[in-house]
Amino acid sequence: MPEKITAYRFDYLDETLSQLNKEDCAIVAGGTDVMVLHKSGRGVPPKIPKPVVFIDHLSELKRVYQKDKDLHIGSCSTYGELLENPLIPIALKNAIKTIAAPAIRNRGTLGGNICNASPAGDTLPLLYVYNAKLLLRSVNGDRVVAISDFIQAPRRIGRNHNEILAEIILPSVLEEGSHVVFEKIGNRNADAIAKVSFAGYIRISNERIDDIRFAFGAVGPTMVRSIDIEKKLLGKPFPLSETDIDSIVADFDQIIRPIDDQRSTAVYRKTVALNLLRYFLNTSQYQPN
Amino acid sequence: MRLKDISTPVPKKDHKDKVSGQLPYISDVKVDNMVYGVLYRSPIAYGKIKSIYVPTLPEGYDVVGAEDIPGPNYVKIIKQDQPIFANEWVNYIGEPILMLVGKDLNTLYGLRDKVKVEFEEHQPIYTLDEAIDQISSASFVSYEFGKGLDIISAIEQDAHQIVEEEYTTGYQEHVYLEPQGMLAVYKDDEIVVHGSMQALYYIKNALLSALACGDDEVRVVQSPTGGGFGGKEEFPSMMACHVAIAANAVKKSVMLVFDRHEDMVVTTKRHPAKFKYRTALDKEGNILSMCVDVFLDGGANEGLSSVVLQRSLLNSAGVYNIPHFHAKGHVLKTNTVPNGAFRGFGAPQSFAGIESHMGHLSKYAQLDPLEYKRKYLVKQGDPTITKGNFRDPILMEEMIEDLLDASDYNKKKEEFQRFNQQNLRYKKGIGTSVFLHGCGFTGSGERDHIKATVKLVKSKDGKVLLKISNSDMGQGIYTTLSKIVAKELDLPLEQVSYPDPDTKEVPDSGPTVASRTTMIVGKLLERAAKKLKAEWKSGEEQEVFEHYVHREMIPWDEKTFTGDAYPAYSWGVNFVEVEVDTLTGIVKLEKVYGNYEVGKAIDDRIMKGQIDGGLAQGLAYGYLEKMTTKQGKIQQKSISDYGPPTSLDVVPIESKLFDNPYADGPSGAKGAGELTLIGGAPAVQSAIEDALQTSFQQIPVTAEVIMESLERKLVNRVD
Repeated sequence: MPEKITAYRFDYLDETLSQLNKEDCAIVAGGTDVMVLHKSGRGVPPKIPKPVVFIDHLSELKRVYQKDKDLHIGSCSTYGELLENPLIPIALKNAIKTIAAPAIRNRGTLGGNICNASPAGDTLPLLYVYNAKLLLRSVNGDRVVAISDFIQAPRRIGRNHNEILAEIILPSVLEEGSHVVFEKIGNRNADAIAKVSFAGYIRISNERIDDIRFAFGAVGPTMVRSIDIEKKLLGKPFPLSETDIDSIVADFDQIIRPIDDQRSTAVYRKTVALNLLRYFLNTSQYQPN
Repeated sequence: MRLKDISTPVPKKDHKDKVSGQLPYISDVKVDNMVYGVLYRSPIAYGKIKSIYVPTLPEGYDVVGAEDIPGPNYVKIIKQDQPIFANEWVNYIGEPILMLVGKDLNTLYGLRDKVKVEFEEHQPIYTLDEAIDQISSASFVSYEFGKGLDIISAIEQDAHQIVEEEYTTGYQEHVYLEPQGMLAVYKDDEIVVHGSMQALYYIKNALLSALACGDDEVRVVQSPTGGGFGGKEEFPSMMACHVAIAANAVKKSVMLVFDRHEDMVVTTKRHPAKFKYRTALDKEGNILSMCVDVFLDGGANEGLSSVVLQRSLLNSAGVYNIPHFHAKGHVLKTNTVPNGAFRGFGAPQSFAGIESHMGHLSKYAQLDPLEYKRKYLVKQGDPTITKGNFRDPILMEEMIEDLLDASDYNKKKEEFQRFNQQNLRYKKGIGTSVFLHGCGFTGSGERDHIKATVKLVKSKDGKVLLKISNSDMGQGIYTTLSKIVAKELDLPLEQVSYPDPDTKEVPDSGPTVASRTTMIVGKLLERAAKKLKAEWKSGEEQEVFEHYVHREMIPWDEKTFTGDAYPAYSWGVNFVEVEVDTLTGIVKLEKVYGNYEVGKAIDDRIMKGQIDGGLAQGLAYGYLEKMTTKQGKIQQKSISDYGPPTSLDVVPIESKLFDNPYADGPSGAKGAGELTLIGGAPAVQSAIEDALQTSFQQIPVTAEVIMESLERKLVNRVD
């Protein structure tokens, strides 16, 4: 007989938080990662080693709203819901469309994708270049951390046991003038885990680079982003010179260290990551999107 | 419903149950006194078992192993080299050693973790290349035939040049929707095995041997089968032995069902292959002679590999009349999962190889690949490479012309050239393949081994039942074979039915393999129906039988590899257009065309299902699906890691059928199931080659392979 498990499904966020304050629980938003992670053999239910707390139904965690130029996204918004929402930037929608297939997108959530902290997490490269901040809530109140500080290693995040990721904040994302690209390379066009992914962000004013950011997925334990390399390009005339491009690509060549696995090879991942970077840098015209 | 033109589509007989989700597959079944089985499998690739430790089992739990087998310890297929439960040597990771049975799966998994087997490990052979290096000891079987090597070497002496190429093909996994499953129902006087299967009598014969019992003590019933693709030809025999032996030993019904992970790592795959071509050309690039060496990775035991090799060799010259052709082939043993039947059965490897080689040779003649291939196309009356004869009309020229028009081939080539000059990132290309498939068993298999018999039963109220041992695994034979009988008897289709086959009720009409069911079994049914019509007595119960009659041609001799290898051939042409991303190596299919000649389609929509599914599977074999082993272990254990195509990877397939009725097929029909897969891989490879203006010597041409080739090109340019 299957063993009994304890599961909670409160009507409100504050009850959920006070339970979390008492007990370390496994949080289930959409469950699309948790269920796979704890899968048992055929005919046996998943074995989740902690009490389970369901948060997928909490409307407090599903709000999407604008505050000044920032976009706040409730962590339990499903991918399907975000695709329907007019506030969500096109680039993020394009990234979401590459995730799994409609059935999974109806369950999976943006907050779940972050807290799962997979090296190949599909929304992560974009969230990194958006400088996403995460609002964590507990009985003690709120705190805000940068996504790059929150995700520490594969499946390791800086969440205290009594906290819930409540909102994802994309600062200044509703400001006009930036151009964002996202490319996911998988073995097929749906239901695929990224072999490489790339996000690029650029803002140009007066033919000079105002702001530029890059993040790479599936080529290291977490997203690869380097503020130092990005800084070298600030204020440079656009389009970039061949020398500048070569030097940035060479810099990333030093820090991107992918691995061989059952999905692809290290050589492939690195080649493609650098190709996508060079292509982004080489593009001589950008329409803000 | 009465049938005028047999090709007019009708709703499939099992349509409603399937789309409503009501059809119970084997894993949905529960019977009284049923326990589950889980297999303990070898964790090592090659070694001798020294000791087996099984933990103390709770009440109601048992261990079943080699000592419980009443008969000899091998799965009866061709050779006696596949143990039911390995008890002396293990030859691959995942080989079954024993089975634990009991009520609760969770308890069984826990007990299995405590089983310990001590081995004396030996040095395994992990790869085909390692096996080729030790060919004298690693070869299971080999054949050689064709023009004498002395003649060929004389031709080579005078040739303008010799072109040598090596070509490799990878694994392919069936990914049937329903994983393998088998249930043995224990009764006092018989054991009834139900399961997902393609070959009822293969299983029955394996059970008669393993259980050493009488013919009426064991019975095999096919459950609804969610896809087979050859993966349920010989593999289910082993699972059937496991559950039947266990049921016999513990006197309970035993269920064994794999989850996807287990299915992917332990069941048979398409044989990885290596081809070596050596072709002599004259100054104009014309072929003077060609030698082909074929090496198939058989995996740990022989299984059906010798027959797979035969089909591989028989297709080694493709659809071409090559002057002075010689071929040789080996199946080699490696300490990896045994490879077996898979839609096409050795032919997809050969066609990928020969189409690739011909495409590359066309450069020496400075011709478009398709133009070059057309110079060598076989024509009616031409000899086959085994001194048989292509005696029926061949419509290939017409089919090619039609696709040249439909695809606007020449214009498109120019368009793509312009596009490719302008676009630095994306490159477009168009590729083609021309192919055939021999219908029915290779050589004299139908006459000497299968000897098919069919039976029709008519009830008092005029209903007719098909009593045959063939499986509907989704390909639609419940419908198509019923149509053949209804048409011949001039009955409404509703009055003809085809119950799930049960060996107690049906004669052996052969396995559901080798593109034989419609043509061979269908023809027997048509003849049986004709006989029944002649003898029809209203209000009486009647039975008629029909037995296989061999079409007398040039007799097949397996020793010399000469004669007519097949009674008939089906034909196909594919054109494929792709766009390749040179930054990532990602291939996007843009257009896919297929023209096919299968005699006469028994149902146009069912045929379209075969075309769309077969071609998607064949295309994916060429560029998408990738399976590898590392130290004898399959690396891709999930569907997402392996990557069969989704609906977002395939485009609508534009296909057309050419009628060419075949006298020995029902309503003129020939085989169709395997043909549709074969052209996919070579066409997609040649399209990628056209886009990138380069050549590949392997499939799948994955994004990784493409990037490696582009990087190499870049380095060469810099040098």
